[in-house]
Amino acid sequence: MADGGSGKGVGARLPRKEDDRFLRGKGRFVADIRIPGMREVAFLRGPIAHARIGAITVPEAHRAAVFTASDLTDVAPIRAYSGLKGFRRSDQPVLATGKVRHVGEAVAMIVAATRAEAEDIAGLIDIAWEPLPALVDMAEARATTTRVHEEWPDNIVLETFVDDDLSDIAATAPIVIRRSLRTARQCMSPIEGRGVVAEWDGRLDQLVMWSSAQMPHITRSGLSECLGLDHGQIRVISPDVGGGFGYKGILLPEEVALGWLARRIGAPVRWIEDRFEQLSANANCREHAYELTAYADGEGTLLALDCEAMVDAGAYSSYPFSACLEAAQIASILPGPYRFGRYRCRTFSVATNKPPILPYRGVARTGVCYAIETVMDAIAEATGIDIETVRQRNLVRSEEMPYTNVTNKVFDSGDYPEALRRAAAALDIPTLRAQQASETGPVRTGVGLSIFCEQGAHGTAVYHGWGIPMVPGHEQAQARLTPDGVLELRIGAHSHGQGMETSLAQVAHTILGINPAAVRLVHGDTALTPYSTGTWGSRSAVMSGGAVAAACETLAKRIAAIGAHLLQAEAGSVRVEDGSVVAPGGASVTLREVAHTWYRAPQLLPRDVDPAGLDVTAGYKPLSDGGTFSYAAHACAVTVDTETGFVTLGRYVIAEDGGVCLNPMIVDGQVLGGTAQGIGTALYEEMPYDGEAQPLAASLADYLLPGAGEIPRIAIEHMETPSPLTRFGQKGIGESGAIGPPAAIANAVNDALRPLGARVDALPITPRRILEALARAGR
Amino acid sequence: MTTLTVNGIETTLDVPPRTHLADALRETLGLTGTHLGCEHGVCGACTVELDGSPARACIAFAAACAGAVVRTIEGFEYDSVMAELRAAFTAHHALQCGYCTPGMLITARDIVLRIPGADEARVRRELAGNLCRCTGYQGIVDAILAVLAARRG
Repeated sequence: MADGGSGKGVGARLPRKEDDRFLRGKGRFVADIRIPGMREVAFLRGPIAHARIGAITVPEAHRAAVFTASDLTDVAPIRAYSGLKGFRRSDQPVLATGKVRHVGEAVAMIVAATRAEAEDIAGLIDIAWEPLPALVDMAEARATTTRVHEEWPDNIVLETFVDDDLSDIAATAPIVIRRSLRTARQCMSPIEGRGVVAEWDGRLDQLVMWSSAQMPHITRSGLSECLGLDHGQIRVISPDVGGGFGYKGILLPEEVALGWLARRIGAPVRWIEDRFEQLSANANCREHAYELTAYADGEGTLLALDCEAMVDAGAYSSYPFSACLEAAQIASILPGPYRFGRYRCRTFSVATNKPPILPYRGVARTGVCYAIETVMDAIAEATGIDIETVRQRNLVRSEEMPYTNVTNKVFDSGDYPEALRRAAAALDIPTLRAQQASETGPVRTGVGLSIFCEQGAHGTAVYHGWGIPMVPGHEQAQARLTPDGVLELRIGAHSHGQGMETSLAQVAHTILGINPAAVRLVHGDTALTPYSTGTWGSRSAVMSGGAVAAACETLAKRIAAIGAHLLQAEAGSVRVEDGSVVAPGGASVTLREVAHTWYRAPQLLPRDVDPAGLDVTAGYKPLSDGGTFSYAAHACAVTVDTETGFVTLGRYVIAEDGGVCLNPMIVDGQVLGGTAQGIGTALYEEMPYDGEAQPLAASLADYLLPGAGEIPRIAIEHMETPSPLTRFGQKGIGESGAIGPPAAIANAVNDALRPLGARVDALPITPRRILEALARAGR
Repeated sequence: MTTLTVNGIETTLDVPPRTHLADALRETLGLTGTHLGCEHGVCGACTVELDGSPARACIAFAAACAGAVVRTIEGFEYDSVMAELRAAFTAHHALQCGYCTPGMLITARDIVLRIPGADEARVRRELAGNLCRCTGYQGIVDAILAVLAARRG
């Protein structure tokens, strides 16, 4: 969409309003908050993955500083149940009760003048542990008699089944592909960890909590349920958030604990997660296992897909997404952007003695893209058809849009084959093939493709179906013109890097013509903003963008009515543009004059003026709850050193379509940053566990995050197919970049290894995994 | 008691011996622009200028900094090179959440002044000690290259 020529509206690459404070070190993150009298909290965390908690001995001198589950008798456990049939319920205690179920589970809370002193006290506490067998592998957890939750008959959180009888195809299909794939457990690793500051305000009879949170309103609802306070007694403020990616889209046990503690001791308290806590207690995403069987014809057409998938769901069901969302999503999105008609998929969410699973940027999509794109390359290999053509034969075509796929997902718009064509063309595959043909030494070139679509901004009907504690409805926004003509926007979603202070000001500019510099976004405070489920699921550009537009449109009508009166023009004859109300003859009054009249000189207005004034709350939902489908094709070249197992990324191209971009610069930033995370998933990031479910990467020297030297320059090819469902045609795309890289890179590495008879079927593709695959192939 | 110069002001710190420089800057002096990411000296979020070179404030003990000259992001408010970098960081969308940004800027300024002829590969190598989880580095690299190019004329 054109931005009206001003260079500031929807579609403009407007520099970000929020940058200045961060560039001067003036951002305000939770660890920067100071309250007089504030005390510091450390948690004593269980060092064993699965153990009964015997006697807890606290030195007499420190009894008043230490709190355990036996003190939190008036606190309810965290309950995130799903309504899906067969879901097994479990409670997550705020402090471990009876036993610990993963390393790092909080057992005691210690308060002191400084964090160091609190940690000193933690070191003096003695706990009589009674170790139990630890469940570290999800396949073993399905077979054993040991239980993560004793009251369960097994360790299955949820089993889902999309059934179809594929026997006719299995009997006749000329091509049968079988693959067993694994993805590693990861830690999302925002550079800022979690953190909480809590204070009980006696005057307001209110808990005030600052937390680095993606969804402050959901945090408040969860705190209300656990602490037995009504919502009015809780205010959650999320200040600047130093990266989220899903890691901060959760009700934390620590939030509940500090909320309780601040009231109990009558002093403000602070807990700031350190990196050791983050890595040892919260490697909580991505771990999948797939058994895939695909059937294709000789022309490379996928006829049917049969999958059994497992997700290691960890020990508890996190609030609000629950322990089953990841695996249940696998069943619904594994078919990807392809149009085959026969599908069978059984999934298991398996409880183990690891941290409870959370949805990480891309959620299940990153794993399923790796799975289906591995299948596509296997079909290409089996049929001798090239990797682009085999995909083109199976992709949903643009003339079929909107398209309802085999799992009843409705793809709203787009041209998937064109995205693939553009990415492949930009990579220049023929030149890379010629290079490969000339290679005889230890360094081998590989070429990889992946393509996917991403459901974003999906709403009420979809989440009602999951039956989890959070169901998004209409997203609301408030637009208020202040007496001096500044526009205040208030939304309940919250930015953790997405630049909403800028992109939503652009939305307001498009509707009202107001200069984005005169727009202030208020967000991240439950006391000041309308209820929202927050920022997750690639939803804020669509949902908050639509809501801000709706609020500004209503505000524009009220502004126009006042402006028309001041201009002595017919009410319906004026326009709101460029920050003014303009009469047909060209006479105009500014928004500032309109606002001044309403607030400061109301004697100038007629008696029948709209008394609702210049303060509007409006709500918005897209035309369908099924969500928008952005999509992208990734194409990359790699070189693999078969002597060291080291992979070097070469050219990397993405063709993507997020519909109309509110701010294309910000969208590019989301895609580039997501892609870097996807490269981490593909090549580097893994939390290994030993046989006792002990995490083995306890610092960033062990858990490898990609740096500037590991990420190649990435070229983006833009496409823009407006979504028919949303206010400006925008689509959710914030997670997109993280989805495609593991599939494209794994395919490229295996392409390089193919002449040597080797193949890697697990992520991340580390040098060790490559050398082991070569060794298995006799190399 | 440790006396050092912080952002041009001679400052005496009275902190326990185990206090690292970043905690002293943040908690004692209120200079919260220095961020903590890992406290292992890996991520670079706490990078400050120590005696003229970038250093990890999380693995320097405050008590070991007697006589040192420390500059935090707040101390570059009127620095002309930093002003060029700030403008370039915004123009090239080199920050999203802003958490790694102060440390990244201090490293970037050092690259610009120390290696005026740096190319992209060199800039990426020099940034190896500063992790960013949001941007994928491309905007950061482009911003630094733009400042280098502008300064070369």
